[in-house]
Amino acid sequence: MKQFEEKRESCDILIVGGGIAGLTAAVAAKEKNPDASILIIEKQTAGYSGKANKGGGVLQWFALDRIVPEDFLAYHVPTVGAYLGDQNIMAKYVAMNNDMINRLEEWGVTVDRVMRPTGPMTYVVGVDLDVTLKVRQKAEKLGVRIIDKVTMSDLLKDGEKIAGAVGYNIEDGTFYVFEAKSVLLATGSQNYRVASMWSNGRGDGIAAAYRAGAEMRNAEFGNFSQFYKIHAQEEVVRGENYMYNKNDQNVTKNFRRFIEADISSTAIREWYEQMSQGKGPIKLRTPIMPGFGKMMPNRKYGIPFWDANHANAEGLDPETNAEVVPGLVGEQSPVRVDNDMKTTIEGLYAAGDVSYCGSGACGAVPAPPARNRGSGILNAVFAGMVAGDSQADYVKDAVQGKICEEQVAKFKEAAYAPLEREEGINPMEIIDDVQKIMCPCENSVYMAQYRLDICKRKLEKVKAKLPHLKANNMHELLTCHEAEATVLSCNMHLEAASMRKESRGWFLREDYPDMDNENWLKWIIVKNVDGKMTLHTEDVPIETYPIQPPK
Amino acid sequence: MINTRHKIEYNPENCVGCKLCYKACFVGVITWDAENKKPVFSYVEDCEHCCYCQIVCKKGCIKVCPDFDSQSFRQSFDVYNR
Repeated sequence: MKQFEEKRESCDILIVGGGIAGLTAAVAAKEKNPDASILIIEKQTAGYSGKANKGGGVLQWFALDRIVPEDFLAYHVPTVGAYLGDQNIMAKYVAMNNDMINRLEEWGVTVDRVMRPTGPMTYVVGVDLDVTLKVRQKAEKLGVRIIDKVTMSDLLKDGEKIAGAVGYNIEDGTFYVFEAKSVLLATGSQNYRVASMWSNGRGDGIAAAYRAGAEMRNAEFGNFSQFYKIHAQEEVVRGENYMYNKNDQNVTKNFRRFIEADISSTAIREWYEQMSQGKGPIKLRTPIMPGFGKMMPNRKYGIPFWDANHANAEGLDPETNAEVVPGLVGEQSPVRVDNDMKTTIEGLYAAGDVSYCGSGACGAVPAPPARNRGSGILNAVFAGMVAGDSQADYVKDAVQGKICEEQVAKFKEAAYAPLEREEGINPMEIIDDVQKIMCPCENSVYMAQYRLDICKRKLEKVKAKLPHLKANNMHELLTCHEAEATVLSCNMHLEAASMRKESRGWFLREDYPDMDNENWLKWIIVKNVDGKMTLHTEDVPIETYPIQPPK
Repeated sequence: MINTRHKIEYNPENCVGCKLCYKACFVGVITWDAENKKPVFSYVEDCEHCCYCQIVCKKGCIKVCPDFDSQSFRQSFDVYNR
């Protein structure tokens, strides 16, 4: 075996991932418990990584001067969450809203306070794309340690309790053993590397949690898709309100009566049905709608960012440029957490995109934004603040779990295995295989059992390739681990989607088109038991929540 | 394969070695040549054309040139299987 240097680090709280969720958690934990030693590891560079600085740059603002959280639940639960959400955590998110944004401002984030309405109860306010970097600077001021270019490969346990993690430097291969009383996963969601800017969500944290035996929830709701202009490759937010087929019929009218704030899976289904009936291509005849970003001037990073990314739309004939195709964004985020962001493993927490669906906050939708504009960054901030707060208390009394050297050696060997092989399969081939399964919307958004079965058979062939992954350098080694995580996410999606025999919220099945509250007001839980993927259901405790489905 | 034909133009003339482009890359395309204090665009095939390296470079040394035709969203209908 190739020899790599080995380093050992010890801390109270290990945070994996230096995006907005991880950094927020670090600051929140330090503010609550200044004595706690906190270490962040980030596989690229903390403060620059993640999605908060690549997206819309908006934060959802609730008008809490005239509504209470239950008012928002009364709108969200039936229309968006389709009764599948944990209403307690959603209420907590709404209640903390104004305070969270005030706190971000105190930490040095510049917030553009001009309120742009997005609905009767909500607005968005703006942040520039340096939001993550500002929180990193705050964390460093408070004494949080950060190690960049180090990825986590596996979690270490002492019995059923977390004891730390192992990982390696993605450039020089140095192997790291981290001893920690508590670990926070802030590693992002699974985006299958498809859509630009979203594709750094590679599911490696989800996979590590799964291997360690943490429960997953709502794995079947992780396939956010939106329309992309096929020639300009530009995403079109709100364009689904203006869909026309080749006969110039307004087909939006087939699935929605009024303009809605965001894309729904029914828009994707309509695209598929029109195309399969030979009525495509689908074009968007939209009025001029500047994105939120362009509505907010004085953005040093945001404006050049959007200009550079949309430059390819310039000069295209508007008729040609109107044609759209659904693009899979992904956003599988199934690590199950409770209302304090605790996973089902003692001492292990998860915050941000890694546990969005797993938290149950949103109900039957993927993402964020999960049809809830401006909730993407803010959900990560919310989850980070809650997790940091909770972990700060946990480590006061927790005893450090024992590091099992046998476990470390086993994980080390597994991590470097693709480097040791003389020859084998390039990890990009695996990712490509999974994309072919997941990208067509009839496999990921509008499903049917026979199509899921075909996908499963294809995935079995892909799984058979995994023991032959070959890496020629550290960069490819990381890609090998990401490829394994991609296969796992696809596997969880196919199994959970096959189990859910109904349509609900974002999840649509051609063979079970109706929502079935009698039999399917249930969460599907996926869990690794002794190396085998198991699935079971759990009733949503709907009778304990304020909003009930109609009888 | 998708996203494999993007290009990044780099003009080292005005580069001051501030390392910001290296930090800004969130997918590890850019590595750092410590000896010469210059970025190395080692894994361009992984570029997501987010253009962050270009935006943070105060000296204007970097230009990301995406090849949008190399990206596809792979629907089943033939026309989209470019």
